[in-house]
Amino acid sequence: MLTRRLMLHATGCGLVAAGLPSAVFAAAETDKRLVVIILRGAMDGLSAAPAYGDPDFERARNGLALPPPGQAGGVLKLDAMFGLHPNLVGLKSLYDAGEMTVVHACATPYRDRSHFDGQNLLENGSENPNGLETGWLNRALAQIPGTGKPLGVALDSHMPLVLRGPAPVTSWAPSLLPSPDYDTVQRVAMLYGETDPVLARDFALAQGANSVAAGTGAAGYQAFVQLMTAAARFLSTPDGERIAMVDIGGWDTHVNQAGAFSPLSTNLRTLDHGIAALRQGLGPIWRDTVVIAVSEFGRTVAMNGTQGTDHGTGSAVFLAGGAIRGGQVVADWPGLKPANLYQNRDLRPTTDFRSIATGVLRDHMGLRANQLAAVFPSSAPIHPKDGLIRA
Amino acid sequence: MSIDAAIATNRFGLGARPGDVADVANDPKGWLIAQLTPERELPDPLRALPSTADDMGAFFKWVRQIAADARTHGMDPYKLKPEAGMRDSAMTGGDSGFSIEREYVKTFIPRYAVAVKARFDTSVQTERPFFERLVHFWVNHFVVSGAKPGAIAMPPSFERDVIRPNVTGRFVDMLLASTKHPAMLFYLDNFRSVGPNSKVGRNPSLRARRDQPFAVPQQTGLNENLAREIMELQTMGVRSGYTQADVTSFARVITGWTIASPPRVPFYRLVLQGRLNGKGLFEFDDEEHEPGSQTIMGKRYDEAGVDQGEAVLHDLAAHPATAHFIATKLARHFVADDPPPEMVEAMAGAFLATGGDLKSVYVQMVKSAGAFRPEAQKFKTPEEYVISAARALPDYRPDAASLLRAYRSMGQAPYNPPGPNGWPDIAAEWLGADAVWKRFEWANQTSGSLASSNLNPGALGADVLGPQLSAATSQAIARAQSPQQGLTLLLASPEFQRR
Repeated sequence: MLTRRLMLHATGCGLVAAGLPSAVFAAAETDKRLVVIILRGAMDGLSAAPAYGDPDFERARNGLALPPPGQAGGVLKLDAMFGLHPNLVGLKSLYDAGEMTVVHACATPYRDRSHFDGQNLLENGSENPNGLETGWLNRALAQIPGTGKPLGVALDSHMPLVLRGPAPVTSWAPSLLPSPDYDTVQRVAMLYGETDPVLARDFALAQGANSVAAGTGAAGYQAFVQLMTAAARFLSTPDGERIAMVDIGGWDTHVNQAGAFSPLSTNLRTLDHGIAALRQGLGPIWRDTVVIAVSEFGRTVAMNGTQGTDHGTGSAVFLAGGAIRGGQVVADWPGLKPANLYQNRDLRPTTDFRSIATGVLRDHMGLRANQLAAVFPSSAPIHPKDGLIRA
Repeated sequence: MSIDAAIATNRFGLGARPGDVADVANDPKGWLIAQLTPERELPDPLRALPSTADDMGAFFKWVRQIAADARTHGMDPYKLKPEAGMRDSAMTGGDSGFSIEREYVKTFIPRYAVAVKARFDTSVQTERPFFERLVHFWVNHFVVSGAKPGAIAMPPSFERDVIRPNVTGRFVDMLLASTKHPAMLFYLDNFRSVGPNSKVGRNPSLRARRDQPFAVPQQTGLNENLAREIMELQTMGVRSGYTQADVTSFARVITGWTIASPPRVPFYRLVLQGRLNGKGLFEFDDEEHEPGSQTIMGKRYDEAGVDQGEAVLHDLAAHPATAHFIATKLARHFVADDPPPEMVEAMAGAFLATGGDLKSVYVQMVKSAGAFRPEAQKFKTPEEYVISAARALPDYRPDAASLLRAYRSMGQAPYNPPGPNGWPDIAAEWLGADAVWKRFEWANQTSGSLASSNLNPGALGADVLGPQLSAATSQAIARAQSPQQGLTLLLASPEFQRR
């Protein structure tokens, strides 16, 4: 069987042309895996992880509160205060197994309500939307000793901002088009080598990615679940990628968000199935894995005029994986009384997402303080959260 | 001189057809500017598309049909939410054999495919490629996306009603037409936004009766989605001085801006009976409009019914931030990811000096220093790439299904951008290992589908790229082992992918 390494070597002319080292045999110096899922559109954290035990919950949500645990269609109980949406059955069993954590009332430093600025800031890891043109996940990759071959993969035909930057990264998404013959591949690689270093680099990386992910699935419905299966393939290749990034959109629920078949409910189920597919695909490597699922911001606490919610601030972040010290909800809970809301409308953020990300990067990926500062440049110190990772 | 002709056709047009570069060589800028006149009649491929009322009606008819079908399968139709249908194949009725998703696909994908093919045919055939590029630009600015399932049929009719008539006119007219179009009112939810102190707001049972086809009693109130995106994405741009309070006030101002009898029963009957044409679907509903004056960015707008919202839109359209935002987006789309600041300033100046006359802004762009810099400044989007190849290759005329497959593989299904900010417009978003590979796969498939006897890729490259064709690419084509392989190299070459 042709391993990925040999395949890269066999097609190495593109790599040489792109100025990458031709020796691509050493693996990264870490066995840890990290998967970042961006939930685009602003997930309603109070639906995904309801604070059903808050005495103000039902009143504050005025019509969007799910029934309490134990009732039909009710919240899945995590503790006396928090639960999960009933479609998150997989995450609930991970929680019970000590492999899932909810971080609640969490937000990036972004305090306005534009999706696109919010996502920019979430991805660039700075303190303003146009603060940096590279992504924090790419800068984290740049801290991991490797060989110059990509340690990050986007399961996407676009390259998301969070993975853009100096560290080499690859990308892959299922194809509906026939595969070209080898001779034509070689000639195009040579042409790019002579004329266009950017195309040459990406073309060479794509050949490597194709040899790993071939056969993991087709585009279409349930695309997210299939992409998570492909992510598992990249991460479990012995000298393969260590960090994967997957997108799932459709969280902007301005209208009709309640109900068992609402877009929010189906999206949560898809997220749940996707994480289950990743776990299954990783097998024993799940033990060394952390998944972070995060959205650009949350939504209004109260229902709007159209049975949905408008753009808000604080939300919930999911952490899953065998490396997570799970079975806990991490929250400095701000409460839901009107006076406790951010600008009288949103869940007040009490945890900085960067403290979660740096906690994972430090305790799981082994980054040191000065490296974390390069990943998340900040005007004030960020305190990495302790206790997220299993000792 | 002929480098300018190649730039005019490739950077500002949709790519050269054989002979185009030579034809425009006398006066490339004049050729572009001459295209900036209103469209006298719709291009042939678009004329056959259904009307707005038909596109809207199709969705609501489907909602009714789905309810009836669900009942025959013993399911409660009001527990099926149509908007959820697209997202998850688990949206099925268990063992009943009833699938909301399957029904949705069956009903709407053909309608969508016909529209995408018509857009492609128009782009390939047009003699006014700069005008058509501008249509594409504005469709990607005032975004109605079929990625929202209920809106899947609407973008082509929105383009026909709102964009095409206003491409060379005043910005404010396009903004007004957009904000009053049923597709935009539906896509960004305003058709159901109700003033809390309006007659309906204070007596929700009035609304529940009107919304009968949805049957679920609707709570009524404010939805700020459209107001925010008009300010953030369509006029001033984000971080240009407005606040959350301004957004909320503006949302109150445009309550009551809704669709004529939106999904209301009489509307169906009119559609079914063929009695409703594409006009007159906007309705200002006084009973849903929030009464009273509102203050936006320090200016007070007194209660004036629909005129209150129009006054706000006029002020937004004339704001210097809007001029700058539109100028930046145009220059970024056509000229460079980071356009020269002096070019943007000159274009914004033309916008303000003419009260937002768009033709003046385009002319300023074409005449600016830097517009014809010989180095390629832009990486084509997948759709631009496919269209430019089809214009270069008269024998490449894909059917709708293979066209859609190509677009989806390269990550850009026309009319379906992921969000109201439209498709990205910088190279960093479209470059990447998978993106580059998919384009190559498509180039290879396309070349392989053409008969070798008609192919002379070396001559074709010289014809459509002119002096932009590099020696390295010429040589690679000359050494190819077949005409198809040579054509793959031409289509995959950097100079064909960049513009």
